[in-house]
Amino acid sequence: MTSNNSQPVLEDVSVIVAGQGGDGSLTVVTMLADLFRNSGLNVYTERDVLSRIRGGHAAATMRAFTGERYCIGSHIDILVALDQEAVEKNAHQLNPNSIVIFDDSGGPLPSGLLLEGTKLYAAPFNRIAMRTMRRELYKNSIAFGIVGRLLGLEDEAMRRTFTKRFQRRGQIILDYNLEALELGLHLADEMGIKAGEGIYRIEHTDPEEHLLIMGNESIAFGFMVAGGRFFTGYPITPSTEVLETLQKWLPRCGGVARQTEDELAGINMAIGAALTGVRTMTATSGPGFSLMQEGIGHAGSAEVPLVIVDCQRSGPSTGMPTKPEQSDLNIMVFGGHGDYPRIVLTPGHPDDCFYLAVDATNLADKYQCPVFIAMDQALSQNIATVKPFKLDEVTVEPGKRLNEEEVAKLDTYKRYEFTEDGVSSFTVPGTPGGMSLVTGNEHDEFGLVSTDPANRIKMMDKRFRKIEEAKKELPKGRHFGDPDAPIGFIGIGMMYGVILEAMEELEEQGFNTQYLQPRTIWPMLDDVLEFIDRCDRVYVVDLNAQGQLAHLLMHQGADSNKIISILRYDGLPYRPGYLVNQILEQEEKLINGKKKEAKAQ
Amino acid sequence: MTTPPSTKTFTPARPIWCAGCGDFAVQGVLEKSLNKMGIPPHKLMFLAGIGCAGTIQNNLKCYGYHSLHGRVLPAAIGAKLANPDLTVIAAGGDGDGFAIGAGHLVHTFKSNPSFTYIVMNNGNYGLTKGQASPTSPIGYHDNAESGLDSMLLGLSFLSATFLARGFSGNPEQLGRLMEAAIEHTESGKGFAFLEVLSPCVTYYDTHREWRARVYNVDEDESFDPTNRAGAFQKIIELMEQGHIPIGRIFKGEHISLESILLNKEEPAPAQQKIGHNEHRKHYDKFISSHLG
Repeated sequence: MTSNNSQPVLEDVSVIVAGQGGDGSLTVVTMLADLFRNSGLNVYTERDVLSRIRGGHAAATMRAFTGERYCIGSHIDILVALDQEAVEKNAHQLNPNSIVIFDDSGGPLPSGLLLEGTKLYAAPFNRIAMRTMRRELYKNSIAFGIVGRLLGLEDEAMRRTFTKRFQRRGQIILDYNLEALELGLHLADEMGIKAGEGIYRIEHTDPEEHLLIMGNESIAFGFMVAGGRFFTGYPITPSTEVLETLQKWLPRCGGVARQTEDELAGINMAIGAALTGVRTMTATSGPGFSLMQEGIGHAGSAEVPLVIVDCQRSGPSTGMPTKPEQSDLNIMVFGGHGDYPRIVLTPGHPDDCFYLAVDATNLADKYQCPVFIAMDQALSQNIATVKPFKLDEVTVEPGKRLNEEEVAKLDTYKRYEFTEDGVSSFTVPGTPGGMSLVTGNEHDEFGLVSTDPANRIKMMDKRFRKIEEAKKELPKGRHFGDPDAPIGFIGIGMMYGVILEAMEELEEQGFNTQYLQPRTIWPMLDDVLEFIDRCDRVYVVDLNAQGQLAHLLMHQGADSNKIISILRYDGLPYRPGYLVNQILEQEEKLINGKKKEAKAQ
Repeated sequence: MTTPPSTKTFTPARPIWCAGCGDFAVQGVLEKSLNKMGIPPHKLMFLAGIGCAGTIQNNLKCYGYHSLHGRVLPAAIGAKLANPDLTVIAAGGDGDGFAIGAGHLVHTFKSNPSFTYIVMNNGNYGLTKGQASPTSPIGYHDNAESGLDSMLLGLSFLSATFLARGFSGNPEQLGRLMEAAIEHTESGKGFAFLEVLSPCVTYYDTHREWRARVYNVDEDESFDPTNRAGAFQKIIELMEQGHIPIGRIFKGEHISLESILLNKEEPAPAQQKIGHNEHRKHYDKFISSHLG
């Protein structure tokens, strides 16, 4: 590769590939991500698709950068548009000096769609693919050659990535795709985009290898490393990758990952397995989570350890299955009939997903209650680079489980014994001498059904004491920014990266902010409430229509005068710039309000 | 050598059934069979659903679990897959198994996990005071729907391996069927489905009627329980003649769910030591599969 020092070093570039569903936008983005990761850069990718196999506008975005970013940025540098709709839908997010690679098989791009400074490369990818290979399927691979060259990627590296990606799908598919890539590289030559003459120079900065992983895979892996050996689930977007990952990996470790006939079977099969002492998890999304409510409450009452992953999507009902939302917070915290203890953890990035899945698995075993991991579609499915997980730092803390010898030493064994911390010892089936009854009926210490009022109160209080005890060790939030800043942010899940980047943009505009990313939202921990106390005002960013997180904070004692709800529920990917505008609007309102106040006095 | 004093655990409850309820016979036969087969109480995991029948686990000395209404089958599958060394028995009534839990029954027949499922069929919802159940016949109260027959349902699955129906009024045969069912699952042959006609003395006393109508296929030398089509035809004919077929309806062979899902090179999920590092090589492989 010829080195040209006039090219700027690639520090932060975003590429969006858009077309109809089935056009292969996600494939292009995934391969670009792999290439940049291999070049020592960090990447973050995002998908914006419809819940169907083909058709409908679909886009995938990749951001490659040096340093730390945890979301797609506010502006896009390169748009690969596989049809005109892709330009119409995405032109608004382009930089003034962006590049558009356009498939003009359907005719030239009408004027006026792009800003003046935009550079347009047009070629009929679809027609070329049909003419050469009789399959339009390969048009994305042709386009890849051009975008790869522009980004400064080496031809050979592109070929390697193609081989890695397509060889498992058979030699014919691989050959066609490689041929399409060559066509693309040839087109790039014709357009004057020669090898080594891209717009960027890629410098290998970070010597450490990075994993390329999505939140759902990290959750699955964290559970497995924490000794999780039983998983049940029913396919539902956007949680399915948890099931698929565990179906691939758990059996190798002697575990079972089973696809059940529905979510009712999913949760109850998980309960049946958990009763035998194996660490157990299930994963689902809104509709499935609703179906599981009876089982989850049962696990709360019968004190069955269980991890439940809720990959939230836009609701209610079937809602918008592929779109992110955080609108199951109420049902996680307050759902189910009756009162029962539970823990809700909220990771913010694929690496956080791993560590919190470990914690969740330990906590469930230790406190014998349902532990939720609250995900959202973006956190679940967006693929990002993370540092290799520190396996040696993972500790597996077993619960209060008694073996045969330990049971034999007791005068009396009571499955639901009243204890100071609320946690009772338990035996698992197969342990001689430790026979017990487990039930969701209210029960006495032995597990025998009881409606005795005094027992009822003691048993209820015992179960809730576990949560008070757990509070001492539940994952605390992560703080960012100036602790004295007047403006605070609270947001969870995918908002983590968006808020961090919005804070930078706000700082450039003179706003000093700080951020607390809560990692446990139930029980609500003191650090979150203290953070709110410390700020003048706190923007609570809620990906739902009713401000569920803001309400939860106020319900837990946060000063409602300090909380300003930022709501979003349109299903669109959140960009930092969008949040910045929402904040600026609010700040302006505050200033105007104060001015009015001053005038009135 | 003196035996160490044993640890006191729960004292099994006394049955809450009405005097004369068929479920007493089921419990009696069950205890006798378990005793005869030498299944130790700590190895037995007994799961029950909701309803009159779904209280039987409280009366037994073993590992008992009371599931949600209709969900005893998935719970039993979970337990068996996690620890295949356990003797797993699930029990419940006809409402629990054939109404609210019918979907799971279909999938349990389909997947053939090795545990016994005893359905105490009394043809009504006794615990909620006698409403029609899926097995109530036309004319019971205001019921205008034909009753469901679980033997016909089971026979429609090529994966079914054990189908039997007993009668609480015939405890000797019930004992033979119960032992055969448990033996079937102990040897890992798959799902043993045992329906027991268990009359409800309070809301739907069918004892005399059923005694008159039962037809014992075990005593019919021309009946071949290994012939699925033949069994199907025979029990349809019997039902059309007003009989209720009892006995060993079908025995077949099919791979069990646990032999498909469990990794034979590794201890079963519940038998693994929590926290050991033995699978580190797989963890490392997972990590390298996500590296460049």
